[in-house]
Amino acid sequence: MADPIARLDGISYWYPGVVAPSLRDVTLQIGPGLTLVAGSSGGGKSTLLRLFDGLVPQFHGGRISGSADVAGMDPLRTSIPRLATRVGLVFQDVETQSVYGTVEHEVAFGLENLGVPRSHMHDLVDETLGEMGLDGLRRRRLATLSGGERQLVQLAAVLVLRPELVALDEPTSQLDPDGAAAVMAACQKLAAAGQAVVVAEHRLESLLGRADRLLIVERGEATGPEKPRDLAARLANPPSVVELGAALAWDPLPLSGDEARAHLGELPHSLNARPASAPVRRDAETALEARGLAVGPGRQAILDGVDLAVGAGEVIALVGPNGSGKTTLLRTLAGLLAPLAGTMRRSLGRTAYLPQNPGALLHLPTVRAEVDLTLRRTDSADEVESILSSFGLLGLAERYPRDLSAGERQRAAIAVTLAGSPALALLDEPTRGMDLAARRALGAAVRSLSARGSAVVIATHDVDLVAEVAHRVVVLRDGRAIDLGPPERACAAGSAFATQIGALFPGGPVTVAAALAELAAGAPRSPGRSPGRSPGAAEVVR
Amino acid sequence: MSEPDGPGLAPRAWLVWSIAAVTVALLTENPVYRVLVALAALNVLLAWLPRERNRKPLGLALLVAAILAALINVLASHTGADVLLRLPAWLPLVGGPITLESLAFGGALSLGLVAALLAVAPLSLVLEPHDVVDAMPASLERTGIAVATSMNLVSGFGRTFVSVRDAQQMRGWRPRGLRSWNEVLVPVVLTAIEDSVLLAEAMEARGFGAGRRTSYSRNSWTLWDVAVVVSALAAAVLFVGARLAGVAMDWYPYPTLALPPIHPLLVVGCLVLALPAFRRG
Repeated sequence: MADPIARLDGISYWYPGVVAPSLRDVTLQIGPGLTLVAGSSGGGKSTLLRLFDGLVPQFHGGRISGSADVAGMDPLRTSIPRLATRVGLVFQDVETQSVYGTVEHEVAFGLENLGVPRSHMHDLVDETLGEMGLDGLRRRRLATLSGGERQLVQLAAVLVLRPELVALDEPTSQLDPDGAAAVMAACQKLAAAGQAVVVAEHRLESLLGRADRLLIVERGEATGPEKPRDLAARLANPPSVVELGAALAWDPLPLSGDEARAHLGELPHSLNARPASAPVRRDAETALEARGLAVGPGRQAILDGVDLAVGAGEVIALVGPNGSGKTTLLRTLAGLLAPLAGTMRRSLGRTAYLPQNPGALLHLPTVRAEVDLTLRRTDSADEVESILSSFGLLGLAERYPRDLSAGERQRAAIAVTLAGSPALALLDEPTRGMDLAARRALGAAVRSLSARGSAVVIATHDVDLVAEVAHRVVVLRDGRAIDLGPPERACAAGSAFATQIGALFPGGPVTVAAALAELAAGAPRSPGRSPGRSPGAAEVVR
Repeated sequence: MSEPDGPGLAPRAWLVWSIAAVTVALLTENPVYRVLVALAALNVLLAWLPRERNRKPLGLALLVAAILAALINVLASHTGADVLLRLPAWLPLVGGPITLESLAFGGALSLGLVAALLAVAPLSLVLEPHDVVDAMPASLERTGIAVATSMNLVSGFGRTFVSVRDAQQMRGWRPRGLRSWNEVLVPVVLTAIEDSVLLAEAMEARGFGAGRRTSYSRNSWTLWDVAVVVSALAAAVLFVGARLAGVAMDWYPYPTLALPPIHPLLVVGCLVLALPAFRRG
């Protein structure tokens, strides 16, 4: 490694009032280039990133031991504003980290704080906006930007201080695929230019193959950083191609779709270029039916002419870019917003709704009390323990929900929402901040609901979740709802919503489990890899 | 205000204008002057309000403030010669005669509140948060940033309220008495606190509190800025002077309704507060 920019030596850290340390004896070095920080939700990734710029322990308090050097400064003792000149931190939430209202002033905020003379400040802002490709947006109001653009502005706002190390804490968790790709591309460009960039992420698909180093943080313990290939097998939450490669004992383990493709020739059997059979669906009765629906938060419709029928036991995934109307449609289907036109009919039974912000649901002292409240309200005979267990929350049952990590909090909110077997469940971005294990628990819960006859509508950017649980995929685009069919079509190669596995096996399975099942079944080899098949003729949802 | 292509006013000119207009509106109880200040401020606001800004919250705030102020006076003040109706005497506080005079005085109170709200409205609806920071004297920069960031959080607070109410409703919550609102208000307040902590964290991480700040904005003063400041200060000084000199500038409708006194110079003082509107053409 070139000269390290950050060195931690035997760092252990306890948040105030917490017995277990959030970081345990962490010793590591970070050098120039892209370092990817992976690990389970609540494992200590965010705490580690906050240590680099002194927020831990100086802002959060608590107890710390060990020593650290970041860009020649001691983050345990140097004031945070002074550290800001050497270390930049971009946070997860694009909205709560904004101070000003317009792009150029937001970017200049840090320079103003450091007392940089105005003429120099203008030069630095111009230069940074140019480097980030944001020059055209400089006078735009932040509220008018897409999520991806806003996150790029936040990145520019720390880069303008010319830090030696830039850390990003799950920067894409709230972004659509285009926005996420733009932020990741910017990180790669910075790293390629020799900047030290540290990115903590759950979505590793696009970054793992391009990262210079991988650092795994689990239960407060850090492993690495090492070359991603040397450490990928130890990922508790691997991307699909790594999981597939590990299951098939590919050596070396593929880190990207391209690398996985090189291994396809080793397969004793390849996979048929045929759509997998659609999951079993019970649609004897309609749980939700909307006809000619026009929806909008005000008087103006952002979606029009939506026809949507969801059968009992059916799982529908709503996909589409940020701002396409997914949340507005869900709120209308929930009955929280009146449709501007059209008719809607829901079958009898409770409708459950998970909002984007899990904090909206949580206000009681323990996770257990939250789940219990839903069960009492819905007169459900379900047991609290079994619900907590199915979401892996037994260990967190007595914790204050708002003290949990983002991913754990999201799991708690989902358990609270889905408790009591609703007839219709509407979930808005349920996998935000979730690791693979939690996402699988969610997938299992959704399948269980579906098997018991509940209809589920999920608005999400998470194509792996879509591929795992949805019966049908509906994309919201240009004010219309368009049925893309089953995930085997919607998430296949060539689609904007292709999974890593879908892209790997054109016309074949779209999940790791399906790929392994088909291989185990010994599907006859089909050596030619056809070009990506588009999801077929789109039709308005019926 | 930060529109660089159009004519602007310096943030500090706005601040001086707002303070002067509020001073005039609250220094007199005369409804004529208050109406004039309210109209001047409304004129300025309409001239400068960006098209994309939502006007509804301000309209609602004005309406609620006006109705509440008038209603409280009408119901609680039972003096005045012209009785419109009588509420049963056993009703605590509000029982007794409702008079034309209390209605008129309640109206004057409402006008004062409306005028003051319209006078400060440009600080949040016309100025950008960074303008508010620039408007503050150097010693109050941190206060300015607190105000600016709270302006950002206000819209988020509204969204959070809707989100929490929706989520709790779908979970079976129904508004039944004041205590039931705990289930909505507690998560709203907790979310607001969490958002504030996150924002504070993000601000510190970008050097907030490092020491003496500089400003990115080039707020060079024009003749218009000078004219606005001079006229606004003149209006405020005029009313303060009139008050100190004992000029009849108040209006008291009890026990019988009478026309408010009007002094031409004070009318001019109110009207010059409309000057910023002419900057916009």
